[in-house]
This record gives sequence, C-alpha cells and structure tokens, in this order.
Amino acid sequence: MSEPYSSLPTPGKVSEAPLVSVRNLHKHFTVGRNLFGPKPTLRAVDGVDLDIYPGETLGLVGESGCGKSTLARTLIRLYQPTSGEMLFDGTDVAKADERALVPFRRRVQMIFQDPYASLNGRMTVRDLIAEPLEIAKIGTPESRTEKVHELLARVGLHRDHANRFAHEFSGGQRQRIGIARAIALEPDLVICDEPISALDVSVQAQVVNMLEDLQDQLGLTYLFITHDLSMVRHISDRIGVMYLGKIVELASNTDLYRRPSHPYTQALLASIPVPDPTATRPSEPMRGEIPSPMHIPTGCRFRTRCPMATELCASTEPALKDIGGGHLAACHYAGDAVTPRAA
Amino acid sequence: MSAPVLSVRDLKTSFFSQRGEVQAVRGVSFDVHPGEILGIVGESGSGKSITCMSILRLLKSTGRIMGGSANFDGQDLMALDQGDLRDIRGNKIGMIFQDPMTSLNPTLSVGEQVMETILRHRKATRAEARARAIELFELVRIPSAAERLKSYPHEFSGGMRQRVMIAIALACDPKLLIADEPTTALDVTIQRQILLLLKDLQKRLGMAVILITHDLGVIAEVTDRIVVMYGGLVMETGPVHDLFATPKHPYTQGLLASVPDLRDDTHRRLTPIPGSPPDMAHPPEGCPFTARCPHAMQQCQAALPPVFGEGQGARCWLHHPDAPKVAGVNEVAA
Repeated sequence: MSEPYSSLPTPGKVSEAPLVSVRNLHKHFTVGRNLFGPKPTLRAVDGVDLDIYPGETLGLVGESGCGKSTLARTLIRLYQPTSGEMLFDGTDVAKADERALVPFRRRVQMIFQDPYASLNGRMTVRDLIAEPLEIAKIGTPESRTEKVHELLARVGLHRDHANRFAHEFSGGQRQRIGIARAIALEPDLVICDEPISALDVSVQAQVVNMLEDLQDQLGLTYLFITHDLSMVRHISDRIGVMYLGKIVELASNTDLYRRPSHPYTQALLASIPVPDPTATRPSEPMRGEIPSPMHIPTGCRFRTRCPMATELCASTEPALKDIGGGHLAACHYAGDAVTPRAA
Repeated sequence: MSAPVLSVRDLKTSFFSQRGEVQAVRGVSFDVHPGEILGIVGESGSGKSITCMSILRLLKSTGRIMGGSANFDGQDLMALDQGDLRDIRGNKIGMIFQDPMTSLNPTLSVGEQVMETILRHRKATRAEARARAIELFELVRIPSAAERLKSYPHEFSGGMRQRVMIAIALACDPKLLIADEPTTALDVTIQRQILLLLKDLQKRLGMAVILITHDLGVIAEVTDRIVVMYGGLVMETGPVHDLFATPKHPYTQGLLASVPDLRDDTHRRLTPIPGSPPDMAHPPEGCPFTARCPHAMQQCQAALPPVFGEGQGARCWLHHPDAPKVAGVNEVAA
C-alpha cells in the first residue's frame, strides 16, 4: 500500500497542491447479525487514493454498488471514515469532530441526484437558498434575500421565483435551485452526485452548460459522480473509474477514452450505447455481474469477470501504478500492451 | 412489405383529475412490421409509455382511451373486452417493464411465475410447463436453469430479474413483444448484455418488438425504425439510419445535438434545447414544440402541422412545399 501523503503522479496541466488528498480511505459498514461470529462487513470504500486539484473537474464513474456515492458522502464527512487519511487544503478532516469541521463544511457543498426529494416542499425558494447562509450566520435577512436574488440570476431563474415552492417547478428548474443552494456559501469544492441523471436529455445539457459556466465564474472545483459515461467525458478534466470500493484507473479524460488500460474500463467503455446506428461495436458483452461488496474477491477484485485473469491476479492485489504520463491503473498487466483492445 | 403486425391509428388517451383533462396521447399512428424492432423515443411526458399502455389496455382507472384503433392479428384491441384481452396479453403479445423488481411477485418462485403464464395460455401439464420453463431460462441464458427455477426474485440481481421477465414474456411465443425502458434500471455493462440478448432473441424467434426508451444510444444500437414522440404526438418517424443521419424535425435535431459526442475530443459546448416541454393539461393549439423551436413561424402557433414525407415523415410546417427554406432543416447544404 502507498505511504500516506506520498504524492501521486500529478496530471500535466496542474502544478498546485491538491485541494483534497485522500490516502488509503476505507468506509466499512457492519450489516445484519451473526450469532456465532463477527458481524459481516460491507466494504463500500476499500482503500481509495485520490487527489483533487483546485479548479479541475474530477469525474468518478462506476456501476451501482461500486462505492462511488459512499466515497462522496465520506469525502463530505456525512460518514466518518473507518480508516485512512483525508486532507482538505492541508488540514486532516478524517477524524476531526463536528466543531473542528465547521470551516470545512462551509467550503464543501453537495448537489444531489433527486431534485424532487432533496428540496423541502414546505419552504419557499428564498428560504431554501438562504438556509445555508442562515446556518453560517452570514448577513441580515435583507442582505440574504438580496443574495438569494443574485444566486437565482446566476442559475438562470427569475427573482420572482423566490416566493414560490419547489413543487411549482420542473425537474430542471428544481435542480437549478439545488445548485443555487450549493453555491450560496461560495464553496471551494462541490460534489455533484448524479446531478443530471433524473433529468430529460434536452434539459441535461442546460444544466451541464450552467455547471461549466459557474465553474468559470466562481473558480469551483467539482467532483462529478455519474454512471453516464458520455457526459462524464464531456465535463471532466480527469476521470477515475471505481470498482468494488477501489479506484482501478485514473487518467485525463482524453487519455482514458483513447487508451483505457484496465480491463474493467475497457469493458465499461465498450458497453456504452452510442447514438450512431452506423457505429461498429464489439459483439460480446462483458460477462458476469459485480460481486457483493461483502465478499470481495481475493487478489485483484476484478479477476472474477476479467477475460485475461491469471494466477497472479488471484494471489496478489495490483497497486494503482503510473503507466506513463500520470495515467494510473491497478492491473498487473496494464501498460504492457500499448493497444490492449482493437478499436 | 408484408402486412403490419400492429397498426395503430389516431390513438388518443387522456387522464382525468381535479386539474381537469390531461391529454397524454393526442392522435398517434404507426405500424409495426413482422420481424422488426421499432423504437419509440421521447422524453418524460411525451406519451411514449402511455401509448403502449393504451395499446395493451392497461391504463390506470383515471385514464381513458378517447379514440382511435389498434389492429393486431385481425382484431381491434380497442374494441375487445377484458376477457379477450387477457387471452392476448402474455400470449400473443409479451410485455417487459422497466423495473423487474416490482413486476415480479416476491412471494412466488420465479419458476412458478414462468409456469403460471404457460398454464394460463396453453393446454399443458405442470411437468410440460416446467420443461418449457427450463427451456426458456436456457434461452435467456440464466445459468443452472433447472435449479434457479426454485429461486425467489430477491435472490436475483437486477439483470437476472430482467432475464426472468424476458423468459415470461417469451413463454407463449408472442408475435409482438413490447419492452418499456427494459434496461433503464440496469448498469451499463448489464444493459449491454440484455440489449444483445433481446436483439438475438428477436432474430431467432422472428417476432416484432416495440422498444420504448429515452436513450438515443439504445435506440441507435438495436432498432430498425424509430418513432420520435413529443407532446403526445409523433413528431418524426423513419428508418434508424436515415433519422440519425438526416433528422428532419427540429425537435429530433435538437435531441441529437444535446447529447455529447463520445468520439469528439474538442470538448465543445453542448447545445441544449431551451425551455421545457408543454403542459399537457393545456396543450398548445399548434405544434407543441413551437415554444422551444429555433425556427418557429406564425403558422406553427396557429395550426398543428400534418406529417410531411413518405418513408421518413416529419410533423413540421417547414416541410410544407411553400415553407421558407431553412439551412439544415428543409434545405440540405450544398
């Protein structure tokens, strides 16, 4: 396992210190009961190393059950990590108590997937967006209303909308309200957990363009979690691929799609339905399904579905290593073949 | 071309609530031919699912079919009573829905649920039904088929449950399979397994398939012909290759432009369709896309356009012979 805080290879374009630096992060849950032994453990996040640099958009992809949402919730300290290190702007926040977390909580915000469930239906839009400011004790009621109007304008809504309730808005508009709430405290890092999955195709593009504009205007850093492999490529600077609680590959977006080096990434990219009927596709789908995070395979966790697994894969877990130019992959054989899969 | 398996004409469905009448489907017509996969694509509220639920006559009690016909196998499904419909559903028409968890009965083994369908529609003994169920599980590639018959739905993953649903839908060799967002709840690698399975089964069994989805990628990958729906109407229809290569309706064009191109490295800005879909409680008099259309004219607001064009038809005034020329829509760049 890597030494804590030993630096991971940095991507080409950024030279600054990372805003978030995570080493060997674990989040385990005990589930159910077992009368005659230890309680079974679900290893949702199982040893993640990750750096997020200021101003970048880091995409995080993976199938359901891979631990990407648990990782997000641990990063924002909705969950207490089981073990591991988590530095935010140089400060360790993994074990900090609530009191010590107050400044951290202001600087990290989240946009949720479901714009219907994440907004309180009994509050007006004004109160929804002003709530973070109230909690942080910023300004007077008047100045907060002023700020709400400014935020509404930023997300493409009208100031007249402030006195309405969330149910009066469409899904896309609600997501704009959720975004206004998330940027109210002018955070450094915004974690976007599937922010467009619940929206219609034509509206998704509106929200994605707006997120890109806000990033330019406010200098935001995004962690963008999604299962939409087309959209993540569009919005991200770098992309991490998660499988069963671990990051198995991480690279710049162009590099990842041109030169996927982990067999899981290759299979994932080959599965994307392309909106072009003339595109030629590999005819064999990836076999099997993701194993339970309660019974993670020994050695390489992907070996049970991997078409090229060997004995080494069963005995030894591959480390996330640099295979050239900051392209990280956790596969014993990554980087050996330059073009592992014929396009 | 041979006679269509299903021929839908001017289908209209409304829902009635305290808000009044919501016109979910406002005159939909299309044909499904033997051995083809017809894709119905549209956003939420476009009426694509309600169209199919109307054809199957499976509407909630607040819904009512206001007119139109759906000819299947020499009968108008709109005119049949529920008893006759039950003989057709699950028999000559198979159905798969989005959520395989809520479509299966959690208290019955999956084998029992497959056999139930066979025993309902065929003269078969339990032993024969069981043999057929094993055959079906093998067909949809559920490993150790005979043993898995005894399993309950909760013991299966989402992908495996959807295979069970497909096995049930195919139990009586349907002429037509209606699949409503069959892979939306599944992960992308599992989605691909199920789509390739559906396509392979369709070829081997020679049935016709209606695939309803919001995903343009899924549509491009498996369908032969597409119906694009918006605001309760068919906006454009045509062979999948033509429709993706030269979309004629501004809505289809907008839809295709709003998804990122996976093969494009330039990171260009997305082009969304501005605004949001119309409120179907008060549908606009003219074309429902007028408010969001970059080429809208007076005429679009005044009257609903008919479908122009044979083969690839578009419901858009710009394709009227007298319409002004707009580059990219009704005028192909030289």
